[in-house]
Amino acid sequence: MRALNIAATGMAAQQTNVDVISNNIANMNTIGYKKQEAEFEDLLYEDIKRPGAQSSDTGSVVPTGIQLGSGVSTASVYRITTQGTLTNTGNQLDLAINGRGYFQVLLPSGETAYTRAGNFSVNDTGVLVTSDGYTVLPQTTIPQTATAVTISSSGQIQVSLPGQVATSQVGQLQLATFANEAGLQAMGSNLFLQSGSSGAPVTGAPNSTGFGAIQQGYTEASNVDSVTEISNLIIAQRAYEMNSKVVTTADQMLQTTNTMKS
Amino acid sequence: MDNALYVGLSRQVVLQRMLDVAANNIANQDTIGFKVEQLMSHTYPMSPPSSPGVSLATVNYVQDASLARDFSQGEVSQTGNPYDLALQGNGFFTVQTASGPQYTRDGRFTLDAQNEIVDKDGDPVLSAAGSPIVIDPTKGPPLIAKDGTISQTGVNGQLVALGKVAVVQFANLSALTKQGSNLYADNSGQIPTPAANTTLEQGFVEHSNVKAVAEVTNLIQISRAYERMQDLMTSTQDLSSKAIDTLAGTQ
Repeated sequence: MRALNIAATGMAAQQTNVDVISNNIANMNTIGYKKQEAEFEDLLYEDIKRPGAQSSDTGSVVPTGIQLGSGVSTASVYRITTQGTLTNTGNQLDLAINGRGYFQVLLPSGETAYTRAGNFSVNDTGVLVTSDGYTVLPQTTIPQTATAVTISSSGQIQVSLPGQVATSQVGQLQLATFANEAGLQAMGSNLFLQSGSSGAPVTGAPNSTGFGAIQQGYTEASNVDSVTEISNLIIAQRAYEMNSKVVTTADQMLQTTNTMKS
Repeated sequence: MDNALYVGLSRQVVLQRMLDVAANNIANQDTIGFKVEQLMSHTYPMSPPSSPGVSLATVNYVQDASLARDFSQGEVSQTGNPYDLALQGNGFFTVQTASGPQYTRDGRFTLDAQNEIVDKDGDPVLSAAGSPIVIDPTKGPPLIAKDGTISQTGVNGQLVALGKVAVVQFANLSALTKQGSNLYADNSGQIPTPAANTTLEQGFVEHSNVKAVAEVTNLIQISRAYERMQDLMTSTQDLSSKAIDTLAGTQ
């Protein structure tokens, strides 16, 4: 009876589903986190009776045929890149992107990573870095004597220096956008890498056409909606239970057969 | 006398297959665009060998005849992804696979490195003109209208049309065969026509049309019917052993 194996694939798929949901819930308070969803697809079908096969010598054909499926598998785990809500932190180096785009980050390996998490700080040499200490590109140095840092919605970084009335510009932030954001490869620590399906990055100044605006003093909360996740969890659990019912039914039928010869 | 055993057996084989189909429905309840299936059975009449002068009644066996697929609309839910498309109506998307064009209701598409709209296996989604759809990555995310027209915002804010997503329909839906990976193939040679009364929803996906309650009820029915057949076969067995005992006793 293939029902046993089919139900097993269903249970495995729902386990993946619960894994993905639990990761979303665990990252509910991660800055810039984008929720994920598991996507399923049906497995191969076996033709028991081909549609269109001849059913008699006179040329009548089987109208629909019989194809028995063999269950389900996880096709992909998919990222939903909608905007998260902006939370006021008051920290002058906390930046949120309102709209499309990613901050560019230089990894120690020399590669460029992309992130929506704008909780930046300065390191010992005054360079703007991420919470992991990676340089934000294009590299900006904030003078040690600066009394205040102002970052405009279009990404201009201006500092007030003691004894100067006018602010001076020390840098300009650049954002990167991708044709297919969902195709970016997550590498943990809120960072993403370009992948074959994301397309090449297109960089530009914030608040220009096609790019989001920078909000200083804010961070972008995750786009995880707790109510949706909990209801998804319930749905996944029920689906798991239903697959286990198939196992029970198949088992009962086999049991019935076993008791036939008394 | 043994006929009753074979009739019971034929029913049990069909019931096992019905369980396989129900199991596949339940396993795929969260598969995007999955359509629920049901095994149809029919009677298979056979006349038992008859002696001259004695005509015996026809014995009706059970045989699985065909698979009925319910193509009714699945629930649609919002994802917000610009490349997620849900079909409302009886149309299909066309995907160019290695083994020719195949059809799907699963509209979770992405872009590949060539900026073509592809399905999750990387096969290009075809336009109404029969070619892959290429997106300009320097422009904003595409807008896909209800009729499938794709457009992108150009530099000067003007909408540039890029073509139209092919949505086709078939005269004979039951001739389609499932290929796995949410794809259907058509081997009957019918020509797909542009779907009428089908609209596209961008940022939405269509869930399976599996109804949990119906499937669980199905499971109960299958297992009870299987048991009933077993009872019938056991009593047939009892009958023949009783006959043997009684006939042996008369000697």
